[in-house]
Amino acid sequence: MADMQNTQSEYRLEMTGISKSFGIVSVLKDVNLRVKHGEIHALLGENGAGKSTLMKILSGVHQRDTGRVLLNGEEIHPKNTHEGRVMGISVVYQELSLINDLSVAENIYLHKLGASKFWMNWKEITKDAQELINSLGFDIDASATVRNLSIVQKQVVEIAKAISEDTKVLVLDEPTTVFDPTDTQKLFDNLFKLRERGISIIYISHHLEEIFKIADTVTVLKDGVDTGSMPVSETDADAVIRLMIGRELKDMFPPRDIRVGDEAIFEVKGLTAKNTLVHNVSFSVKPGEVLGIAGLGGSGRTETAKLIFGADKKKSGSIFLNGKEIQTKSPADAVKQEIGLVCEDRKEEGVFLPLSIRKNISVTNFKSISNRFGFINVEKEYAKVQELIEKLNIKTPNSGVPVENLSGGNQQKVALAKWLSIDSKVIIIDEPTRGVDVGAKVEIYNLINEVAKRGVGVVVISSDMPEIMGIADRILVMYKGTIYGELPKEKFSEENILRYAIGKPLKN
Amino acid sequence: MALTLKQQLSSPGGVLKFLIKYNTIFIFLLLVLFSAIISDVFFTSVNLSNLLKQVSGIGIISIGMLIVILTGGIDLSVGSMVALLAVTFAILVNIFALPLAILITIAIGFGLGSVSGYLVAYQKMAPFIATLALMTVARGMGFIYSKGSPVTFKTYGGLFMSDFANNSFLGIPNIAIVFFIIVILAMVMLRHNVFGRIVIAIGSNEEASRLSGIKVNKYKFLVYAISGALAAISAIIVASRTNLGSPNMGMAWELDAIAAVVIGGASLNGGRGTAINTLMGVLILGLISNILNLLNVPSYPQQVVKGGIIIFAVLLQRFENK
Repeated sequence: MADMQNTQSEYRLEMTGISKSFGIVSVLKDVNLRVKHGEIHALLGENGAGKSTLMKILSGVHQRDTGRVLLNGEEIHPKNTHEGRVMGISVVYQELSLINDLSVAENIYLHKLGASKFWMNWKEITKDAQELINSLGFDIDASATVRNLSIVQKQVVEIAKAISEDTKVLVLDEPTTVFDPTDTQKLFDNLFKLRERGISIIYISHHLEEIFKIADTVTVLKDGVDTGSMPVSETDADAVIRLMIGRELKDMFPPRDIRVGDEAIFEVKGLTAKNTLVHNVSFSVKPGEVLGIAGLGGSGRTETAKLIFGADKKKSGSIFLNGKEIQTKSPADAVKQEIGLVCEDRKEEGVFLPLSIRKNISVTNFKSISNRFGFINVEKEYAKVQELIEKLNIKTPNSGVPVENLSGGNQQKVALAKWLSIDSKVIIIDEPTRGVDVGAKVEIYNLINEVAKRGVGVVVISSDMPEIMGIADRILVMYKGTIYGELPKEKFSEENILRYAIGKPLKN
Repeated sequence: MALTLKQQLSSPGGVLKFLIKYNTIFIFLLLVLFSAIISDVFFTSVNLSNLLKQVSGIGIISIGMLIVILTGGIDLSVGSMVALLAVTFAILVNIFALPLAILITIAIGFGLGSVSGYLVAYQKMAPFIATLALMTVARGMGFIYSKGSPVTFKTYGGLFMSDFANNSFLGIPNIAIVFFIIVILAMVMLRHNVFGRIVIAIGSNEEASRLSGIKVNKYKFLVYAISGALAAISAIIVASRTNLGSPNMGMAWELDAIAAVVIGGASLNGGRGTAINTLMGVLILGLISNILNLLNVPSYPQQVVKGGIIIFAVLLQRFENK
């Protein structure tokens, strides 16, 4: 106990020897993170490195398997986010967690509602919330309904919510993805103010530029292991990147020896959405080509895919398949034209979790396994599904297993198999390997290559930079709902992608 | 009965798993056994045939309810639809030839169901609300067209139907045969036809269905229309049994139908449920009433017992998911 008291002076937060597994997947292995009083501590790592899981353990969403968490020298064990908040740990997640139908003020003070008072004085609460937002330097009406706010304003409310009480540790997960430079600067000014108040800030970001601008210390995670912490002043971007990537990239991405056709198989011109930010998107894909679409979260990549697929409403623009204009007013239209979409949100949009692998794969392909009265030829179905299970190496005892019992990687293969069972001419894959372990990743990359080899036009949307540079022949970068720049293979670099993604021209 | 099952549940092993998996059928068999032991008249052909006649009407709408529930919806209008369509059939059979009267009644049922289907699928109205409204409308229309009193069959066609509804074929009541045919049709369509696959897919994950190119709205529309058509068949049978159509028929049947579907292990969230288990659910509910009648239990305590058994049956199904 005496030791604990001694450490109190130096570190606000100490996480030591943290391990965490989900089922057989080990996400964190013996991770250490030490954050001082009043410092901005950058937490870096690729997607899937375990940053979010570590923060969820800190805030009480997940429980650690092993290790200790000391806050001001005292061991804490928050069982849920409410407990975490009471202890002074606030997290702003990437996915916004605001309640759309409540006002800004109600959202900011939501966690306090019903805590002590029977009678809510809304006038006062709204006034407090307004002062809080104004003090952050933003102009948002505290009585406005959150639904009517822009995504930038929502992010501001989210941050205001996190610091509206006695916060000791503030975690920000990619807070600036939707911000333009002015807003980003305002946020930084606020973070500096909070740092002066002695609040410890853990800042997660992919933008190395930002890190070197604001952070005092940096810790890098790679595949669930921390590869070290150091003061920002003693390192540079190259060194940090080396720590982040670590492994040899060329091992992950199989070589591509594919002949790309001359004529575009698929082309969109001036595509503009009715209800999303997507506007004036034009590009083409050749048969055999893997086209990458990069960009920050909220730049309109997923929305573009959904627009092409007919899942969102179009305002203007046209789509061509093999030179002929086609209409995709609904996903059913798109499927009829043999366009496939592997969705970003696998569990909500990609697969039917409680249904069997067989039923999942057959869902796009009733035409070829049933007669004209709709009766399913079971033998044909089994044969077709079995062929795909083997081809995609889906690890399962049989095709009757519910998809929810499979690992993320195998679930993703099922989502992909759905579009391979019909011979799609164009397949759009949104985040092909999110939540997929490394082994299955390589298999999915191989699959993408194989599909392209058959002359399919493949569009891959990915936030994972090494991934998109590893598998794409050409990368389009989206910024604020439209394509901002295009990178041929010889210009691939994280920096180039990032520059386009934040709406800046390339350097030289 | 509850005790033996409880004892079995607390002991691990393969028998237990088997019991849990087929719990609906086991509850049914246990009830049959129980009934046979405590009542001498239970296993007489008169009683069994009565039992089947009693459940057929509700049974048919339960199948419609199952299909709607599989998509994640609910149809509260079926009971009132039975009343309206029974009155409609009684009026029509006194005017038109029997086959025409049957066809028009079923078409009207399909049409009324389509109204719910349209509101749910294309106007995005909550199924509970849309069909609640239809429930009130249909009951009211039943009273309007019948002027508040039962409409009796007067023609040869009507007499033919009432003969049909009260007679048996090889010892099985004709109307039960109609019910069983509908159950078998539903089984085949749900298990072996694309229709069933799609209905279950929609109930399991509507957005994923849409993004797999399924015309979700079309099928959501269709299931309510089918439910309406089945309510019409149920109405024809029920009216024929008593030789008249009354606006008081089918009172609260929608609730019995939901109970039957749920006892049959279907999930109200959609995506899970089978026709055979719904048949079991219908028979279980029928059995409970039947045995309580045989024991001369008055109707109010009957309701209490029925409710208790529904809770018990559904609690049992929790084990199934583990």
